[in-house]
Amino acid sequence: MRAQPDFSTSPRPQRPAGWEVAAATLAALLLAIAAHGAWRARAEAGEVKARLAEVRREIDSAQSRLRGLGARTAATEEMFALAAVASEAPPGQVVADVAAALPGDVRLERLSIAYGRTVSLEVDVVARGPEAWDGFLERLEREPSLQEVTSGPETREGEVRTTVRARYVGGGR
Amino acid sequence: MGLLGARLYVAFDASAVTGAIVQRGLQGRSLRAFAHAALPAGALDPSGTTPNLVRPEEVRDSLRRVLAEVDHAGVAGTLVLPHGVARIALLEPPVGVDERDFVRFRLAPSLPWPSGEAIFDSLPTGKGRVVGAAVRRTVVAEYEQAAAMAGVAVEGVNLDPLLALVGLRRDVPEARAHVMLGDVAFCLAAFREGALVALRHRRRDRSEGESGRLLAEAERTMGDGPLGRVRLAVSGPGAAALRRELGEVERGSDGAWEWPEAAEASWLSGVLA
Repeated sequence: MRAQPDFSTSPRPQRPAGWEVAAATLAALLLAIAAHGAWRARAEAGEVKARLAEVRREIDSAQSRLRGLGARTAATEEMFALAAVASEAPPGQVVADVAAALPGDVRLERLSIAYGRTVSLEVDVVARGPEAWDGFLERLEREPSLQEVTSGPETREGEVRTTVRARYVGGGR
Repeated sequence: MGLLGARLYVAFDASAVTGAIVQRGLQGRSLRAFAHAALPAGALDPSGTTPNLVRPEEVRDSLRRVLAEVDHAGVAGTLVLPHGVARIALLEPPVGVDERDFVRFRLAPSLPWPSGEAIFDSLPTGKGRVVGAAVRRTVVAEYEQAAAMAGVAVEGVNLDPLLALVGLRRDVPEARAHVMLGDVAFCLAAFREGALVALRHRRRDRSEGESGRLLAEAERTMGDGPLGRVRLAVSGPGAAALRRELGEVERGSDGAWEWPEAAEASWLSGVLA
């Protein structure tokens, strides 16, 4: 609205009317309410963000635990697999199978059994002579409970001393 | 004080000082207080060029009497200067041109005093036209000083004819000439189809035959020859006698215009519009 003409020698801003003061007061009040609302909303947003971060941390923690449980399950499966292998190749049976392949002129000095996904044998033997040693190897290779039979370095002067490695698969007798 | 504020109007003319407190409420403006004090003859002589307050102390006495009758504490005041102090013209500024600048451009060359001493302002009247006015700064200062010394918190200065025009614009559906009389000058406003089409501001010659001269001025202003179908309204001091002489002439608009002889009728009608 245009103000009335003013011919004052020193024009001054017109004093606000009562309704203008009331309107300004109302506007200030509304501004204060809006500012308060905005402040509260911001605080609530902060709380929600904090809660969200906490939930994310809980999710991460739960996922870590879940991964740990998964790893533990794999280890358990490994353990069960070993137990199954061990149950199929008990040491007594292994010793019996290896002893059955020994001829009279070959002496068993040490037998080592390693249980893993397979059963590995390491056998230290002493043969009375090269013929006895060769006969022993032939018998080992024919033995159905043993596979991948390999012999180590051997001495053929007089007694033959060597180490034989093989994989025990069982089911021989 | 009114719900939406109040304002004190102090009007001067040669015969009297008038005070009115107009308050604004939800239903519009209303008159809360009114006082009128006569001035000794010759104490105030409205003029555009020479000092107006011939005997300032007597003017201030009348003003104090007026203020004593209205409770104006804390109410800002607007001074209403009388007919005869300003150069007034109806102008049509080009689109986009500042109205006040255009008024200065048009009126400055015609002023009988240096334009640097003039205060210019304008009143929009619709249809792209404005009433421009120029008042000499020293004249305004006289009234401001008198009001301030009497205790008025002056926050604005307006002119009787401009305030009166605000009251006229709204109630003139047909061709009509309004003569708004002051003590020493008058303003004649011609309206057609609700729009102000011509404006005259003249010194009064209150000698015998004034009514005839006013009628002739109205006819010249309307440009229709004998007024015939055009209605003429006369208000202000001496209006009753002029209307009697003119015969069928109207009093004026409703409200404050109904006061037959009141010098303040014209501007007060505009304030309350």
